[in-house]
Amino acid sequence: MRPTTALLARSVWKGPNIVPLPIVRPVPGQKTPPIKTQARGATILPNFVGLKFQVHNGKIYHDVTITEEMVGHKLGEFSPTRKNFRYTQTKNR
Amino acid sequence: MVFILGINFHEARLVRKTLQSFYGIGPQVCAHLLARLYIHPTARLGSLNNQKVLDITAELSNMKIENDLRRELRENIRRLRDMGAYRGRRHAMGLPVRGQRTRTQTSTAAKMNRIERLG
Repeated sequence: MRPTTALLARSVWKGPNIVPLPIVRPVPGQKTPPIKTQARGATILPNFVGLKFQVHNGKIYHDVTITEEMVGHKLGEFSPTRKNFRYTQTKNR
Repeated sequence: MVFILGINFHEARLVRKTLQSFYGIGPQVCAHLLARLYIHPTARLGSLNNQKVLDITAELSNMKIENDLRRELRENIRRLRDMGAYRGRRHAMGLPVRGQRTRTQTSTAAKMNRIERLG
């Protein structure tokens, strides 16, 4: 019997996966460029809310705007890495 | 006939089976419930006195079962979908969510994984 699925998660003593990201506080009136990153495993922290990220999926960078309910998830969850299969009759299309 | 949570059950039915017929109560929760109310695991509904039936009904009405539980499940999936998370997307596509293979044997996922999951 498994008492709780919380035990299957990351070890508590490690804490969340905090990756040093170049976070710039958005100044009102000025346009801040989105934060380009390849750190898909970085945990979304409460101070990320409202920021714009560009998360790498191995090929391109996907735009992700962080909302409040995303806190606790990883950046990579919002940047899909797989392409749907689509049948084409010839390869040169 | 014994009346529990708006459903009539036959007296010859096992209490254990009756409880497990509700969505959200399996062998484990049922065993705990019976132990707490001093009911033998093989007892039948007819052998319970009125107070015991009332106790069961009171316990069940405090638990999150049936439609409340289904609604919670659906809300959780909808939240993942609205966030645009990988898990939510897999639910919407009806594909396995936790990294299982998809080459063959995805019939359970096709049946269960959807935004408006049935149960």
